[in-house]
Amino acid sequence: MPVEATEAPANVLINSVVKNLTTLAARAWAKRWMITFTAPTGVGKTTAVDYAARNLTFEHRVIYCKQITTRYTLLRVLGLAPGEKWTNHGRNWMRASDLYGRAVERIHERPYLLIIDEADRLSLDCFEILRDFWDDARLPMLLVGNEVLTDKLNRQHERLFRRIRVRFQQRPLREADQRKVLEFMGYQVEDEEFTLLWKLVGGSPGFAEALLENANEIAASQGVKRGIEALEGAVRYFPTCRKVV
Amino acid sequence: MREIVRRAINARPELTAELLRRGLFQPEEKAEFLAGTAERSYGFPTLPLGPVQFATVLAQGDTQLAARVVMRNLMRPNELTWLDRLLRFRKPSEKRDELTRIVERAMEGRKGNARRGH
Repeated sequence: MPVEATEAPANVLINSVVKNLTTLAARAWAKRWMITFTAPTGVGKTTAVDYAARNLTFEHRVIYCKQITTRYTLLRVLGLAPGEKWTNHGRNWMRASDLYGRAVERIHERPYLLIIDEADRLSLDCFEILRDFWDDARLPMLLVGNEVLTDKLNRQHERLFRRIRVRFQQRPLREADQRKVLEFMGYQVEDEEFTLLWKLVGGSPGFAEALLENANEIAASQGVKRGIEALEGAVRYFPTCRKVV
Repeated sequence: MREIVRRAINARPELTAELLRRGLFQPEEKAEFLAGTAERSYGFPTLPLGPVQFATVLAQGDTQLAARVVMRNLMRPNELTWLDRLLRFRKPSEKRDELTRIVERAMEGRKGNARRGH
């Protein structure tokens, strides 16, 4: 199913990450597949998920893993209606299995695509629940995360891993794309600075932004405009980068 | 010497200075800190750290010290947001995951035990 063209929000640059993620979301929905989308940290996965959440034209739900910690919270998100509370005492108490049953029923009644951002942070029992949702309700899913997600699924969740149809690995941005993203984010980067940034962080706009913001603050504290010296000063704060220089 | 004082003394000098400036220590801890650093030539930098710099040195440094800083309410919301982002750039570990949860809870205005419940 092609993604219908919608007007992009002003703060998102439609680059390869956004395009790939929305296309995969559409495919997961159309074919009822389970798909993983992995990319290094800072490439723009969450931005792409935000864009998808606002622009996908079919039923979908997005879960940002920072809110999810256990299988109970996951069940609560999928099984309860907005504003509804999980009563686990009194006359109308609900067991976790009741909640699971309700979630499955909801999916049967009104199927949707489940997008999970930072799925690498899910715990073992959450992956088991996801597998159950897949087995019982054929819930299409797009699991988004960094390289840890693949490792985790490979090592610990073989049964879920076997059910995944597409394992997409997003490459970091290319030099020209990275430059475009930084410009879009409002950074005027000199060639010298960009060369250093590229050497340090490659195609990761998130990491580049952190370095540039640090450099901006160093320059501001000295009352000068940001330059290569400030950027080199910012590298001091990132021990892993320092080794590269 | 208390743990928090020892950790603060061993941190980067600019972070130690910033924590002192922000009032991390309680009176007894401050006395211990001053006694602990009396023999050192510290040469504190005079300029305060910007929000991103502060979040960066915390994210890159001692996880337990960072957790104390967050739990003692010394960070502004924009600094917490940056800390949250910067923690993700590092390789995940159990300690760092716990710090991330503490930061997330602080961003939601909650404090206290952040251990993962099963």
